[in-house]
Amino acid sequence: MLHNVRDNYVISVKDHVSQFEEKSFRKLASNDFKSWPSPREETWRLSRLGVLSRKEITPIKPNLKKQISSVSKFNGSKIIRFVDGALREDLSSKLPPGSSLNILGEEDSLKCFHKFKDSNLKDHPSTNVSFSCTPSIVKLTIEKDVKIRDLFEIIYEGGDDDSSVHPALYIELKDNSSITIIESFNHLSSLIMPIQLVELKKNASINLLKIFNDNQQSYNLSANCTFLSEKSNYNSFSLIKGGLFTRSETHAYLKGENCNLNLNGVYLSTKNQHHDLTTAIYHDVPNCTSKQIVRGVLGGKSTGVFQGKVRVAPDAQKTDGQQMSRAILLSENAIANAKPELEIYADDVICAHGATIGEIEDDQLFYLKSRGISEIKAKQILITAFLKDIINESVEESIQNFVFEEADLALSEIISKEK
Amino acid sequence: MSLLEIKNAKLKLEDKDILKGLSLSVNSGEVHAIMGPNGSGKSTLSYMLAGRDGYELESGDVFLEGQSLLEMEADERARSGLFLAFQYPVELPGVGGMSFLREAVNSRRKFLGEEELDHLAFVKEARKVASKMFVKDEMLKRAVNVGFSGGEKKRFEILQMAMLKPKVSILDETDSGLDVDALKIVSDGVNAQRNDDNAIVVITHYQRLLDYIVPDFVHILSDGSIIKSGGAELALEVEKNGYAGLINAA
Repeated sequence: MLHNVRDNYVISVKDHVSQFEEKSFRKLASNDFKSWPSPREETWRLSRLGVLSRKEITPIKPNLKKQISSVSKFNGSKIIRFVDGALREDLSSKLPPGSSLNILGEEDSLKCFHKFKDSNLKDHPSTNVSFSCTPSIVKLTIEKDVKIRDLFEIIYEGGDDDSSVHPALYIELKDNSSITIIESFNHLSSLIMPIQLVELKKNASINLLKIFNDNQQSYNLSANCTFLSEKSNYNSFSLIKGGLFTRSETHAYLKGENCNLNLNGVYLSTKNQHHDLTTAIYHDVPNCTSKQIVRGVLGGKSTGVFQGKVRVAPDAQKTDGQQMSRAILLSENAIANAKPELEIYADDVICAHGATIGEIEDDQLFYLKSRGISEIKAKQILITAFLKDIINESVEESIQNFVFEEADLALSEIISKEK
Repeated sequence: MSLLEIKNAKLKLEDKDILKGLSLSVNSGEVHAIMGPNGSGKSTLSYMLAGRDGYELESGDVFLEGQSLLEMEADERARSGLFLAFQYPVELPGVGGMSFLREAVNSRRKFLGEEELDHLAFVKEARKVASKMFVKDEMLKRAVNVGFSGGEKKRFEILQMAMLKPKVSILDETDSGLDVDALKIVSDGVNAQRNDDNAIVVITHYQRLLDYIVPDFVHILSDGSIIKSGGAELALEVEKNGYAGLINAA
């Protein structure tokens, strides 16, 4: 029975691509498409997709006339909008000089596809499905020496029940360029499979804030592949609060010396939510640093997962890799998992990892309450404090308040459910 | 009507009787000192009054301005005008002093039907009170009690008391960990808040604090109940003869 439903999705994916030529990237991708990962696969052991395989889902046919009602929370930001997984230029901003947005042709799409297939994301379910089903691969390019001062906002929305959406974005920062981007996922679909390729050329720098806030029935299986060249800087922070099941998986390849990577994140979970931050960092060359700080707050019967792999190649001497995960449980039925994985083949490196899981301290709660602060407010104060250093450290100052506000909204809901 | 009335309070912790029928009546304008040896139930009394989980009375009652506290959570008691200065103030990493104070003060103001203070008005008020308590601005910017010295922690407690304007303040071993200079600053801070509309209960081991905060009444707490009450001179008797003599006489 299960197999039939699973096969049904495979059939609908194949149906979707039947219209394309034999050598198109869509056809090639769909040929490779196997099935959902089984819980026997190590990186999916803690995040099982069983329920998903029992759903009837088909890839969405984007409605390019769909009206949307969401508005930006930032004055003067440059908006790039995806609806139903398709770029909507009519609903996006004109981009500033030195930046451009293109839809990739067949040949470039294939190249992008192969970069994913050559990475360890090759078996991620979103890799083949989304390359098969995406309306198009969209490429954002920042030209050499261009420092973008405007805030870029990429908004993903649309979708409907029983459909899957497949936005595909390729971001290239050429030498000495820099940009700050806020991405927010606000879909209504059952299944969301975003794929993202980021390439940072020499001395390029990106700040990436990802907010996962899809609707409460959806599965988001986000796959991100990142390549860093010499002296480049990738600084990302993910706030996961929406969806029934959200997994943000990022693989980063440090290919040039003296590059720096931060892959930080916070998950805020309640009810039956399952939130997962999975990372794999490949230190292939010497003298690079990587850092991952993860915080989780869990109520209800929710589950949080952080699994972070750091691989240091034999030549990657003087690597500095740090990993720290902390979670607070607000309910007896919530579960936090932390699984660090260090594979170190070089001998002159600093690599550290740590994980803690705890509860709100009674002493602290009583102290706040003894000052007239209600229990709900007191918990909110303590949890916000728990998140404060990571948000201050990871997020650009001008958008920190926005992140605290986004987190507060989710925290109020989580805490109010615990009383 | 008494401001604070404790009637025949009995309390057990882990099946052990700690408070064994304690009664106390405190009127407005009064300062009471409760003295007692280690293990007499002093800290239990303060936690019980403040409403800490696990310190519920087995029998008896406590009234603040005629209203029973027993059904109230710790935060409701505080908003109603009860304040506990902690023996060991708790560190709150990541919680800024100023925003903590503002949250507390506005909770109390809201309860009293007063307008909540906006950020600017609050900062102005807090700085004014802080300077009187020798609390530096820089301390208010730091996380609550984190990295504070013993003296700073106690000064910050009394600063909170001054900002919250409680009806009844319980000072739990406020003198512990203080040198003479710090003791004087803290005591001056407390004395400045004495008036005809509030009351202060000082819980202490030693007579020393009572040289600075002179009580109207002194009570000796021993083995879970008050065995003797008197004026300020009773504290001197303790200092001279120790608790043993009093306890044996009782």
